[in-house]
Amino acid sequence: MSAEIRTSDGELLSVKLRKVERRRRTTAFLLAAPLLFFIVFAYVIPIFQMLGRSVDNVQMNEFLSETHEVMQIWDGTEMPGEDVTSTFFYELKGLVEEKNHGKIATRLNYEKGGFTSLIKKTARKLKDFDENGNFLDQFINVHKKWGDIEYWLALKRGTDAYHFRKYLTTFDYEQKFDGSIERIPEKKRINVTLWLRTIFVAAGVTFCCFLLAYPISHLLSVLPTRYSNLLMICVLLPFWTSLLVRTSSWMVLLQKQGVLNDTLVSLGIVADEGRLELMYNMTGTFIAMTQILLPFMVLPLYSVMKTIPPSLMRAATSMGATPFLAFRKIYFPLTYAGISAGSILVFVLSIGYYITPALVGGAKGTLISNRIAYHMQQSLDWSLATAMAAVLLVAVLIVYWLYNKIVGIDNMRLG
Amino acid sequence: MLRLTKIMSLAALLVAPTMATAAEVNVVSWGGAYTESQKLGYGDPYQEKSGVQVNWIDYSGGLSEIKAQVESGAITWDIIDVYARDTIIGCDEGLFVEFDFDNDFPAGVNGMKASDDFFAPMPSDCAVGNILYSWNYAYNTDNINFDGSYPDSMEDFFNPSKYPGVRSLYSSAMSNLEFALVADGVPGADVYDYMEENGIDRALDKLSELCNDPNGGCIFWSAGAQPPEQLVSGEAIMATGWNGRHFNAIVNEGSPMKMVWDGQILDYEYFVLVKGGPNQAEAMEALKYFTSSEGLAGSAKHIAYAPFRISSLDIIMADEPWFNSPQAGAVEIMPHMPTAPANTKNYVLMNPEWYADNNTDINDAWEAWKANL
Repeated sequence: MSAEIRTSDGELLSVKLRKVERRRRTTAFLLAAPLLFFIVFAYVIPIFQMLGRSVDNVQMNEFLSETHEVMQIWDGTEMPGEDVTSTFFYELKGLVEEKNHGKIATRLNYEKGGFTSLIKKTARKLKDFDENGNFLDQFINVHKKWGDIEYWLALKRGTDAYHFRKYLTTFDYEQKFDGSIERIPEKKRINVTLWLRTIFVAAGVTFCCFLLAYPISHLLSVLPTRYSNLLMICVLLPFWTSLLVRTSSWMVLLQKQGVLNDTLVSLGIVADEGRLELMYNMTGTFIAMTQILLPFMVLPLYSVMKTIPPSLMRAATSMGATPFLAFRKIYFPLTYAGISAGSILVFVLSIGYYITPALVGGAKGTLISNRIAYHMQQSLDWSLATAMAAVLLVAVLIVYWLYNKIVGIDNMRLG
Repeated sequence: MLRLTKIMSLAALLVAPTMATAAEVNVVSWGGAYTESQKLGYGDPYQEKSGVQVNWIDYSGGLSEIKAQVESGAITWDIIDVYARDTIIGCDEGLFVEFDFDNDFPAGVNGMKASDDFFAPMPSDCAVGNILYSWNYAYNTDNINFDGSYPDSMEDFFNPSKYPGVRSLYSSAMSNLEFALVADGVPGADVYDYMEENGIDRALDKLSELCNDPNGGCIFWSAGAQPPEQLVSGEAIMATGWNGRHFNAIVNEGSPMKMVWDGQILDYEYFVLVKGGPNQAEAMEALKYFTSSEGLAGSAKHIAYAPFRISSLDIIMADEPWFNSPQAGAVEIMPHMPTAPANTKNYVLMNPEWYADNNTDINDAWEAWKANL
């Protein structure tokens, strides 16, 4: 057994060291704790709560719990029996008394259009029902839609506590009432088009940003400080202006009677009748988004280029490389870290963009985020909105994962 | 710990006085010339009369913000200016206060009780009428493409070979479907019945024809101030829009524009009172004044929307020229009202229930149509 080393106050050195180490770790944790709590409570938990809404239908299930239960026995091939219709009648009556029938009307309307007015017309007539009579006939008397079995089938599945149908909708599929999954009719297919368009725009903008940012960043990194600072301010200027102001300025510049077209016409480059269509199409989206996101590409590139010693290029040239070869073999590979950092930043940011494309993109300016915003703000179908948002989140995570596989996250340098 | 308590009580002392300031009411509306007319027409007069401060907040429609406020329990809005469809949905969701209409709202100056004095029955128990407005279209009279002949029907809007040039349409389906059917020969009164029976394909086909025509083409607007801007800048030669905004551009800004009333869609706008809002009692009092005969007539001094009360029209007619333009001075307003006889020869009456029922289907089809243009 080795001799035990003790400190001056008689404690074992190993114990003392562990104590000190523990204290240090606790302090470090305590310093980081506020941020951690903030992120968990203000960010992670709300996100998961929102995402939960995409499958959560518990409230409907509670409102119509008994109807839901008796409907489980009903096979859905013929019109429902009196057990179902009478249970539904009494539950609906209770809901009307508590003024909750409007809520089920809105939610059932997502399952099948027409439910809003159906529930409300029925609610007004409930007091005229003869409780000894045939309920189904009386429902049909109130509104002929109750004679359509699909409304009952919609009621059955609309009261499930959890469902995954919104994720099907996200990809333009639907579950028929017989359980089969099919693509929705062609005239209503919209989401897949928008997913593809969103990815196309994000990739295109990333590429445009790269093309424009590379030379600027190089210039920034080789210029003497007093010039490069000025240039840097020009690059950062858009950061200090509100997004809406920047987008509106582009509208002023790009429109048919705008500054750019006027200049081109007065210079005689284009005819007055042949003014360029620069806005309300893809061109406008690309121009405006590229400008807005450019700094996110310039900064990582610049910070990487700044660290490349100029002597490397001189060495390559002195050994007989043409300037192009030296650039391709030496300089360019050294900037990979900056390129990849900038690309991932711009790509992830542009995948969630929607204000700018909506304003300058015209009919083709709708991206998937616009649909999310629409379902959040207008249709109030929050479960569909969160299903889409969840898919978007997964898409971004996949990009990140691929990036880590191909480039390695450790190689990313932001500055 | 003691110090922390001290700081917190000091903070509480600092916060407390601001919470006890004079009564105020937060009213949310659509901004621009419209909110201005509300502020001048009844907001400011009420503030002067009652001492309650009226704050105007802009929004761009929809119920998501108020839904989020209610769910999080931090309600800051008291009164909201909404579409008929949203009074229905919001009332169903339990976001708004249900009115006992004739007890809550005063009779008109003509002595009629409130429910008779308002033009039309309310779409839900939570709504109180505000204005009648119109979706119509306007064109730029300076435009060279017209060659001396000017459009005067909805058919002309959809006829790019006769009037070549880009059209500006509302970015949602609302109004566009109706216009397309009217232009295609469906009588204004039958538009919704037709769509209920046959769907919206015919309307979308008509719109495709217009937007894909090499002489035509479509751009879209989403804020009410955009159509006049697009007409003046030449971005579009014809634009659908709200008649009050067109009127504002013509009279107050002197823009070279003219409105076409054929096939107009007559639509209603409502106020709702938020349930559990921060100043619910004060807000109810304010709402009574806003929607009184004088209140509603007051806003028509500043914008060409028709007041919802019949008695307000009496006030206006007795005192023409009623409209007060800062640039053009006093203007007779009655001929520019969406309800003027000359303007209602062929019109569609907005059916919010049809939209509430078919919201999802219409919107999906509309967006899919737009994406494939």
